[in-house]
Amino acid sequence: MTTHTHPTLPEFDYIQPKTLAEASQFLAQHPDEARPFLGGTDVFVRMRDGFLTPKFLVDVKNLDGTNDLRFDPQAGLTLGAAVNMNRVIASPDVQEHYPLLAEACRLVASYQLRTRATVVGNICNASPAGDTIGACLALDGVLHVHGTGGLRREPLATFFLGPGKTTLKPGDIVTAVSFPVPPKGCAGAYLKLGRNKLSDLSLVGVTVLGSPDPGLPSRFRFRIVLASVAPVPLVAAQAEAVLAERAVAPESIRQAAQLASEASTPIDDVRASARYRKLMVRNLTEMALTEVWKKLQK
Amino acid sequence: MEKTNTPKSHSPVGESKPRIDAREKVTGAALYADDIQFGNKLLHARIKRSPYPHARIKKVDLTRARALPGVKAVVSGEDFSGYIGLYLKDRQIFCRERTRYVGDPVAGVAAINPEIAEKALGLIEVEYEVLEPVLNPEFGASPQAPLLHPDLGQYVVASFILPRPGSNISNHFKIRKGDVASAWKKCAAVIERKYRIPHIQHAPLEPHVAIAKVDESGEVTLWDSSQSPFAQRDLIAETLGISQSEMRVIAPLVGGGFGGKAGVSMESLAVAIATKVKGYPVKLLLTREEEFYTAFVRQGLVATFKMGCDKNGRLLAMENTFYWDGGAYTEYGVNITRAAGYSCTGPYEVPNIKADSYCVYTNHPVGGPMRGFGMPEMHAGLEQCIDELALQIGMDAVEFRRRNCLKGGSILPTGGKMHPTGLSECLEKAAEAIDWGKKAPPTAPNKRRGKGLALMWKAPAMPGNAGSSAWIELAEDGMLTLGVGCQDIGQGAFTVAAQMAAAAFGVPYESVRVATPVDTRYSPYEWQTVASRITWSTGNAIINAAHDARQQVLDLVAKAWDETPADLDIVNGMVVSFKSEREIPVKDLAIKGLPKADGKGWMGGPIIGRGNFMPADVTGLDPETGQGEKAVVHYTTGAQAIELEVDLDTGRIDILKGVAAFDVGKAINPDMVKAQMEGGLIQGISSALFECLQLKDGVVQNPSFVDYRIATSADLPKSVQSIIVEVPQDDGPWGARGIGEHSMVPTIPAIANAIYDAIGIRFEGPPFTAEKIYLAMLEAGIVKG
Repeated sequence: MTTHTHPTLPEFDYIQPKTLAEASQFLAQHPDEARPFLGGTDVFVRMRDGFLTPKFLVDVKNLDGTNDLRFDPQAGLTLGAAVNMNRVIASPDVQEHYPLLAEACRLVASYQLRTRATVVGNICNASPAGDTIGACLALDGVLHVHGTGGLRREPLATFFLGPGKTTLKPGDIVTAVSFPVPPKGCAGAYLKLGRNKLSDLSLVGVTVLGSPDPGLPSRFRFRIVLASVAPVPLVAAQAEAVLAERAVAPESIRQAAQLASEASTPIDDVRASARYRKLMVRNLTEMALTEVWKKLQK
Repeated sequence: MEKTNTPKSHSPVGESKPRIDAREKVTGAALYADDIQFGNKLLHARIKRSPYPHARIKKVDLTRARALPGVKAVVSGEDFSGYIGLYLKDRQIFCRERTRYVGDPVAGVAAINPEIAEKALGLIEVEYEVLEPVLNPEFGASPQAPLLHPDLGQYVVASFILPRPGSNISNHFKIRKGDVASAWKKCAAVIERKYRIPHIQHAPLEPHVAIAKVDESGEVTLWDSSQSPFAQRDLIAETLGISQSEMRVIAPLVGGGFGGKAGVSMESLAVAIATKVKGYPVKLLLTREEEFYTAFVRQGLVATFKMGCDKNGRLLAMENTFYWDGGAYTEYGVNITRAAGYSCTGPYEVPNIKADSYCVYTNHPVGGPMRGFGMPEMHAGLEQCIDELALQIGMDAVEFRRRNCLKGGSILPTGGKMHPTGLSECLEKAAEAIDWGKKAPPTAPNKRRGKGLALMWKAPAMPGNAGSSAWIELAEDGMLTLGVGCQDIGQGAFTVAAQMAAAAFGVPYESVRVATPVDTRYSPYEWQTVASRITWSTGNAIINAAHDARQQVLDLVAKAWDETPADLDIVNGMVVSFKSEREIPVKDLAIKGLPKADGKGWMGGPIIGRGNFMPADVTGLDPETGQGEKAVVHYTTGAQAIELEVDLDTGRIDILKGVAAFDVGKAINPDMVKAQMEGGLIQGISSALFECLQLKDGVVQNPSFVDYRIATSADLPKSVQSIIVEVPQDDGPWGARGIGEHSMVPTIPAIANAIYDAIGIRFEGPPFTAEKIYLAMLEAGIVKG
């Protein structure tokens, strides 16, 4: 039982490093006391609620390249860590080549929040409910990580370890996330179910990305990623496999949706029951796959 | 601008004048209590609260907290005596022997900043003996329940509230009318249903805030966000043992009230702490979490209805029982119980009635007034039963209501007669606007579409002698300053007050200023800004004040011109004579009077008018039968109709169209009346689909906007139609009666009836969340598992 009523933020020191090296060094030197932050939309709330009590908040927003949003027809898209979601949504390159990412960003919180919130922040926060993570996984996102040992690349597929837990080590700063050029003719959808229509956290989120793939028996490849129904953003691999092997049709879509539902391991909480969530994984996956399949046939 | 040259216009009453406070609110210039600067002597208060729903306080040790540098005062229950409360004085400012809800104030700190105050709370040591809590009003009313207020018999109580000492029932309102037992036999159909309506919260944008200062002589000033500055003056002064004139309340604009800022709640904490640090202003600002479970909440309700009708659909009998989850203290909530009791039949004539409305102490947050004052909760079940009864005898639900609803002269459940009412017109217009009886196809194959309708009535619930007053002063420029003690809580009270003063005196709307903020030292008395009573009650006081000032002007001019006042009028700020066709601007005589005809001396003087109003003919009701001549001043009636779709894939509800039709007597400002209808519909939709304080073992599980969802603009119906019906109130200003609360009363049952029409399922209570709907459809085989 709690009567903690959270009047103020706990005290902390704000650190604004000048270079990435300096930032990594500081973070590495204070492994249990320092925390990097971007828009702060999550970290400040969690600090006020008493879940986080960092001694130092290290602002990594203004470091080299973190404000860049770049698209190259060969190399693909790079989103700097500090690029806010409204910028992502407004980018013509994103709209043309990565509409799924823009769609996912649009369903995050509210416009006001999205002027602060970042895609990289959403990823590093590693909440299973993160609305943009599904799109980033489906689009084969790769993180650019600056650590004490210099720069390295970290694929998103193996990044998430648990709620709020990732492979990042003290001193690591994600400077950007990049995406290869999406497969030709691909189409995507993100369906989010909240309690009301606007600004809720997702009770269930389903991301689907489909693309023609002549190498597969079904000639189509689907990526399916589920939000809020497992300790980490969940790739529904068995469901993806069914759609790779069997001809894409209402029946195989239903089967895939059922498999996605079975793969999910949601919990009961104040937002929804596990039972409802599992049912909604099935229904939303079927809806999302049907929608994407329709787009692919055009 | 030369006000007196404004071209002659229609009366400012009945015109949709722009809000008097629009500019300051839109530009951000408007001052709210938290905006007021108090300089560097300001202290910040925080409250140590009970973590248990029910516990005995064994020991409170303030020593360590007092020793913390920066702390100026630490107080606990031992520092104060007495009780506080509006209708039943059952509340201590700080708990003494016992705590009764999670959040109950045990101690308070004032410090030089909020951080130190918060730190000091951690140094206060409290030892509790945890007691068995009461978490359900039906159990609470039973003899097996632990007694939460053993001193109930000693509490000071209003004459019309009937507590049962020795139990947890703090009010039992009864109606015994006709012969219910034998009526059932005459019925062609009888249904019996039970509903549970959850607690919800007002969720105002601006949380409660109070700043209190006690000067060396002991005089108290309180600045706060308040609907009830005068009631706070009265109740807090009495509890502190000071005189009412030594207590001054200054109430700037309110950022949302909805009833939650009526009466006294957290304000007494700030004042109590301030008495220990004389000369220092002490500010207490609730956090959102505190707002959710330590400010008033809307009481929960467990209601059973039994009702029957003959084969022609005529209602013959009702037997209704309400168990209100009043929470830890029911000082205000007891009267909600009473209001639900005397309104228990809804807006229908029923010859045989047995009703029991119980206010029950529980260890839940403190129940208090909220928009509708028990009526949304009561109508939620009642108006579903009406639909079900109509269905059972095979009658259309609108036709059933047409036959049974109150008309002028109908006999009320309390025995008196209904005044003229436009309820039937509201019913017809709402039904017509929603295309009642016509079924439109769903917008998509995975949707089911339905329509529902509900009626309502509500009276202002207040003591029979709740008074209002007003004054009017003229200035050199002919502007009229209007003093009122009512509060603008966003409903537009100041705008309507200015319109009425302008019309009653004879100046354009633009020539009226309202003297704000309300300040009990300078503003005229007003009982409280509650009960949708302001337009009606304050309006009458304003008319009286305007007529008083006007008479002074006319008498003076008549004397100067040697005419009779009856031949004179004030039009657009000009005194005109119909007889001599002379005219003179009011501003020319407003302050300095007029010279005598012979030039030797002056007559008149600064014009100031005063007026008051108090209902005179409300009678008590028999405690055993609930019968009496006139239970309330009047009833506002109305109807809402909803068209919606249920999504079969998710269970989600889309409100396609909302229609509201209310009899407001006279719309003083039609656009603002419509705004009230729209706002109430939206709040009603929000409470029907989303809102619920999730209580588990007495702890609110969702005290934040993350998990207490309220409707956003995206959740609103695409189409909203508001219909004004005007059957005048005989004692209302221009025939007006209130509309503020009524507009959210019938929304829950209108939506429930539409859901039933769409999917054939009924629920025990709101909120009708997507999950609840989907799982019920699964159960019913409408969707597959």
